[in-house]
Amino acid sequence: MKLWKKISLLTAVVLFLAMGIFGGGMLYETWKYNLNQTVSSYQQQIKVNAYVIAQEINNNPLSRFSEVTRKSFLNYTVQKYGGTDYILLKNGKEVVNLTGYMLVSGEEKRFSGSDPEYVLQKTENRHLLVMGQVLKTEKKGNLKFQLILVKDISGIYEEMAKQMWLFILVYLVVIFFAVDIVFWLVRMVLKPLTELENTAGAISRGDWQRRCRVRRNDEIGKVSVAFNRMADKMEEQMEELETVSEHRRQLLGSLTHELKTPMTSIIGYSDTLLHVKISEEQQKKALEHINSECRRLERLSGKMMTLIGLYDEDRIHKEPYPVEKLIQEVADLERYHMQDSGMELQIYSESWEYRMDVDLMESLLVNLLDNAIKASEEGSVIELHGEKGCIWVQDHGKGIPKEEIPKITEAFYMVDKSRSRKAGGIGMGLALCQKIAEIHGARLLIESTVGVGTRICVIFQEEN
Amino acid sequence: MKNRILVVEDDTAISELICMNLTVAGYDTEALFDGKEVEALLKTDREFDLALLDVMLPGKDGFELMELMKEAKIPVIYLTAKSDVGSKIKGLRSGAEDYIVKPFEVLELLVRVEKVLERTGRQISRITVGTVEINLNEHQVTRDGQEVSLKPLEYDLLVLLAKNKNMAFTREQLLNQVWGSDYLGETRTVDVHIGQLRKKLELFDVIKTIPKIGYRLED
Repeated sequence: MKLWKKISLLTAVVLFLAMGIFGGGMLYETWKYNLNQTVSSYQQQIKVNAYVIAQEINNNPLSRFSEVTRKSFLNYTVQKYGGTDYILLKNGKEVVNLTGYMLVSGEEKRFSGSDPEYVLQKTENRHLLVMGQVLKTEKKGNLKFQLILVKDISGIYEEMAKQMWLFILVYLVVIFFAVDIVFWLVRMVLKPLTELENTAGAISRGDWQRRCRVRRNDEIGKVSVAFNRMADKMEEQMEELETVSEHRRQLLGSLTHELKTPMTSIIGYSDTLLHVKISEEQQKKALEHINSECRRLERLSGKMMTLIGLYDEDRIHKEPYPVEKLIQEVADLERYHMQDSGMELQIYSESWEYRMDVDLMESLLVNLLDNAIKASEEGSVIELHGEKGCIWVQDHGKGIPKEEIPKITEAFYMVDKSRSRKAGGIGMGLALCQKIAEIHGARLLIESTVGVGTRICVIFQEEN
Repeated sequence: MKNRILVVEDDTAISELICMNLTVAGYDTEALFDGKEVEALLKTDREFDLALLDVMLPGKDGFELMELMKEAKIPVIYLTAKSDVGSKIKGLRSGAEDYIVKPFEVLELLVRVEKVLERTGRQISRITVGTVEINLNEHQVTRDGQEVSLKPLEYDLLVLLAKNKNMAFTREQLLNQVWGSDYLGETRTVDVHIGQLRKKLELFDVIKTIPKIGYRLED
């Protein structure tokens, strides 16, 4: 069952019961009050009548009257004061009965108090009030007179029934409208939930930009706000994921392309060796080419693995490390390489620490130095400086044309393809550096002038 | 006289590979590694029968060089790692005779080169193998100046081997190239025809059987 139906039904049932119980109670109380009022007014009446009739009996010498006279006297007296509603008993015997009812024998014992007692009786379809008391006839000694009032009070019951029917009618009409209103209100209150559902549905179908409109400040409004926040976050992460996978796709694309060149050589030369009659010298050349191209493939796959590994954050362990120590280590690593190429490495570092993965930072700097070596002529100087917040490598080599600078950090991009290949480059160094810098919250700033030299700064943007 | 082929490829290994095979198969080659070098060379030397162009070149790329090639009336075969249809269409539309995707097989390259030369009428008309001379225009084969009569299939087989000297062919490749790919004969047929050629032209030492591979005509 839907929530709005549940809530509406529950509310309706509660409303129905509450109104019914309250209305019924009120009705019952009213009825009881009416009855009591009637009874007490008749009590007043019977008291007065009992008093005056007792006076009449006391003041007249009944015993001296003949039977007939006495009877008519009593008859007259009762009728004079009480009309046709009374029965008079003498020693338990009916002497006057002006009502249309018979008193069942034994009933008179109920009314032997000097204050009026009453019972309510139901005969056929009439409701009767029977009330009686003993008359105070002290002067008559052993004679005991009882006055009994019989009154048809069906009117009260009829009135009561009428009121009940009226109440039920009003009750039903009110309940009908109230339930309608409750249903409508609950639906109105819960309507944003439907919108929330629709929005969630749209998002799960891939409409990432969809959001709920928040118009209220209640719980549902808060849920909507929370939902929107979640959707924002999710969209953000989706975009991030997409960027990463797009990046990987491009990388894979460039990789396959980059694989084709060595593959062409390897397949071609091996094919030639198998099928073509060539001189021994040429055979040796072919084998050398196959060998060097295979090595290139190996380097390529190694770098690719490193680059892919950089996307796996679990394998990165950062710890605070003194930069001057890092620079010294990198310098030691590169010393022989530099001597081989006939270049001089000048290092300088301020003393500061940074949270880093030492292996990765080393490989970043080694990469930058290798690039600098490739770009430089024999005998030139390469500088490696670590200032606070920035480490830079400066060469005095051929430089990079301005329009090429934005592209050089792309994987497989080489400014001078044939020359880089001869130097063993595969065009991945700066892409790796870029990624490593990113991991350390840093960026690469490349400044270069053709013919003068290049300076690549690793700028640490945030204190991590 | 040999056909002269211009090879423009920036990767030295591949460039050497192509030149090595073309030379062995009996072509003269000229290797260049940069688009700008091509521009410079064509100003002085336009005597090429064919150009093999890499599409992605430093200096000027293959598509840019097309205009120069058209001007110099040199037929072009593109040689590239770009295997997508778009690049192929662009290459062929721009006026290239053929389009070869890397990595390629050497034999495929040679056959395509040969076909393009044939189609553009730049193929040399005479091939000599020792004392045997093949006149491609007149479909005539002479040994020591004496005309030798060959059956059509024997002639085709000889021409294929002679055009790709020093290149080994498998029996299946020979069947495909000479008899056609829909021919359902056995590879024995090839052996029989090779035997006939050897006998008629006395090429016993020249047409060599390469174990496990097939046959090769050696100079």
